[in-house]
Amino acid sequence: MNAPWFSFSMQDFSYAFLSVLLEGVPFILLGTLLSGLIDQFLPARLMTRLLPRNAFAAVCLGGVLGIVFPMCECGIVPVIRRLIAKGLPVSSAVAYMLAAPIVNPITAFSTYAAFRGQGAAEFTALRLGLGFFVAVLAGLAVLNLPIGTVLKKTILESVTLSGPAGDGSPSPQPFRRRLIAAMEAGVRDFLDVMVYFILGVGVASLFSTAVNQELFLPLSLDDRLAIPAMMSLAGILSLCSSSDAFIAATFVAFPAVAKLAFLVFGPMMDFKLAFIYSAVFTRRFVAALAVGLFVIIGLLCLRLAVVLP
Amino acid sequence: MTGILSRFGASSVLMIWGIVLSYYYLSGRVASYLHPAFRIYTAISAGVLLLLSLALLLTVPSESGKHGLSNIGIFPFLLLTLPLLAATKLSPSNFGATAVMNRGMVDNIADLPGFSPPQDPALPSADGSVKDGTMMDPSLYLKRNAAGYIAAETVDLLYAAGEPAMREDFENKPVEVTGQFLPALSGNPNGDRFNLTRLFVMCCAADARPVAISVQSQPATDLPKMTWVKVRGMATFPVEGGKHMPVIVAESITETDAPEESFLY
Repeated sequence: MNAPWFSFSMQDFSYAFLSVLLEGVPFILLGTLLSGLIDQFLPARLMTRLLPRNAFAAVCLGGVLGIVFPMCECGIVPVIRRLIAKGLPVSSAVAYMLAAPIVNPITAFSTYAAFRGQGAAEFTALRLGLGFFVAVLAGLAVLNLPIGTVLKKTILESVTLSGPAGDGSPSPQPFRRRLIAAMEAGVRDFLDVMVYFILGVGVASLFSTAVNQELFLPLSLDDRLAIPAMMSLAGILSLCSSSDAFIAATFVAFPAVAKLAFLVFGPMMDFKLAFIYSAVFTRRFVAALAVGLFVIIGLLCLRLAVVLP
Repeated sequence: MTGILSRFGASSVLMIWGIVLSYYYLSGRVASYLHPAFRIYTAISAGVLLLLSLALLLTVPSESGKHGLSNIGIFPFLLLTLPLLAATKLSPSNFGATAVMNRGMVDNIADLPGFSPPQDPALPSADGSVKDGTMMDPSLYLKRNAAGYIAAETVDLLYAAGEPAMREDFENKPVEVTGQFLPALSGNPNGDRFNLTRLFVMCCAADARPVAISVQSQPATDLPKMTWVKVRGMATFPVEGGKHMPVIVAESITETDAPEESFLY
């Protein structure tokens, strides 16, 4: 290959950067408005009352929440931040956060549409099933971790202040005052998440415009290389889960399992998300989550290569 | 920065974002970044951000709000505003050759996002005729301009290369196609071809894939990379590398303005 593997252009970078910002901001705004309303209007007791006492069932329910309350990967972080503060166990929140961008009707429909003629029904079912399974696995892993190693200090304090230990119920204020407080909470979350989102989009745009993507093509010949290559590409491109299937389907040289790995890993972890997650979780946890997801999804897809052509 | 100051800072950030998003939507510049289905969200977000900005200034802070809305110091304030403003200033609202080349050309219809293999159309009527207005009626997609050239897109010719029935509709017929000039780095044995490129988008420019067909011209054409050109010529589909490739044998190549919708969807 004659083309250099890395060639930076400021104009291309700023163009890609703006396009992801313009696409992502509405969803983050929606998520933060929702988080403000959760903060003021969702009684903490309701959350603890609805959740199963069994930890495994609670984590599974976290994954299922993705079907009931679908959110895209950009907008979900402010929502789980407030849900954690309202008493949702961190393990269930992680399962919800990882499953929601995959296990939802929009992603299912777009995956089906993108893979028409390529075993769409089976591929869609595999994507959703594997996404849910990995999300629950990650939630179960978090169950065994001390909460202080998972949540950022500021978030941990909010749990202690308004979580299950305390009353956590909205203060008995007039509706208008609570609406103002909800707006303030939403704005606070928006600004916090946007700082990380801008940093993440910057890194993702740098790589998605400057790295020669044909570099990955020679890796398509071997499953053991194709799967990590496609997951790395998903991390670099930082695509939206509602449209990533259309891009994955075009990598015709790659085996189906590699495309599956791309579609399960991408909505759970990419450059942009690693920064957004840092608004809630410790950097160490985010790094461990990234490595863990990469390894688990890689191994599972490698195993699936036996049955999937 | 706490209390009133942080409230003012937060309001300023929201105001700046609201104004910038409004600018993109109202100026139409958003069309260079987003799929039509996503543009309305830009307008809605702009309105919500401006409303929130004003509401922060005009309402009495709640108990929690009195202690500061956010840890919005100078650095976060600059991070939240400067990259947006700088990118707005620097972005040419289209990709240059570097990013396009880095993404690799889609020159096979099977590599096009969202492509599904064509299905057999409905059978013609008993006498073998094709009903006007049905999917089998070529006049639906073979629109000719005043000069008699079929107005086609790069994607149409890519589809035609991969689909025999559609290829017959275009082969050896005069076509007019608009796209961006890029030198042909491969599939150019005589050095007289270039790539005519359009970006195919699913959601936003970040997922754009360049779709390219070949144009053969005598003498060879040399223009600045990514120049918009209108090509008129004959559509041909020679077999190269074991498959049909779309090649326009050019009669004329003229520089032109970017179309209003620069992407293909």
